Amino acid sequence: MTDSDDARALVSLTLSFQPLANQIGPLRALVSDLCKPHLADADGLSRLLLAAHELLENIVKYSTGGAAEFHLLLEAKSSGLRVRLRTKNRAAPERMADARWRLDALAAAGDPIAHYDELIRDSAGRRDVSGLGLARIPAESEMQLRYTTDQDWLILTAEGSANERMTG
Amino acid sequence: MTTLQLTAVGSEGFRVTPTLSDFNLRLVFTGSGDLNATGVLNDYLKLVHEEAIVLGLAQVSCDFTQLIFMNSSCFKSFVVWIDTVKNSDTRYQIAFRTNPNLPWQRRSLEALRRLAANLVTIETIA
Repeated sequence: MTDSDDARALVSLTLSFQPLANQIGPLRALVSDLCKPHLADADGLSRLLLAAHELLENIVKYSTGGAAEFHLLLEAKSSGLRVRLRTKNRAAPERMADARWRLDALAAAGDPIAHYDELIRDSAGRRDVSGLGLARIPAESEMQLRYTTDQDWLILTAEGSANERMTG
Repeated sequence: MTTLQLTAVGSEGFRVTPTLSDFNLRLVFTGSGDLNATGVLNDYLKLVHEEAIVLGLAQVSCDFTQLIFMNSSCFKSFVVWIDTVKNSDTRYQIAFRTNPNLPWQRRSLEALRRLAANLVTIETIA
């Protein structure tokens, strides 16, 4: 049996909603409540919640209107837990271009932490926007971040692993 | 006599409380630093720097032990503050106290320490 065909879904959540800032905290708490029983340690949960928070904020800040989507999948595999977070939202052309630029640079970077440090140094003198949220995900959550687009839809996927809590 | 002009500030679910002792300003952060907190924190850290210069402080301590989370925009406020101190004629140390049960703190703050290793220290409170 291979790792890809022995997956067992522990949590699967699909949400379509009109994103608002005051929903991020409760959604983060929901993700925590759903995943915490399956994770072996606080570090795994902390990394997952950081990624979920930054992705949710991203759609709140940059959606151009209408419904956005948030998906969470936590699977048990023979190699451990796999986590996948996916967001989908409409983005304005300038935001789409900025996101592509940032995500392409992130994908091209060999070391996500070195890339993040470089962005931090570059952003230090800029008082306008953060520009750090997406790069923070691979640097601090140790999750891989990739994107696709479909017309004006931006689809972000973060994937990573965690240790499963042993029961019984 | 040294008198602290800073007062506590906050937004929904977020608060910073300052105390001054022996040229060490201690800032206690509680709650969650999210979108609601970004503007408050950004403005507050500018005031902290001004106060630190006026009072000739040796150190500002940031107690994160009750800070549940901090988003990237709040994190950016710390980047700007540390960069300001780094490029100031009058410098002071910035010490972070972290909670070992909140692992994101160590990861996030290590990035700040790498930005200014000679200014930033991190201490984990057991």
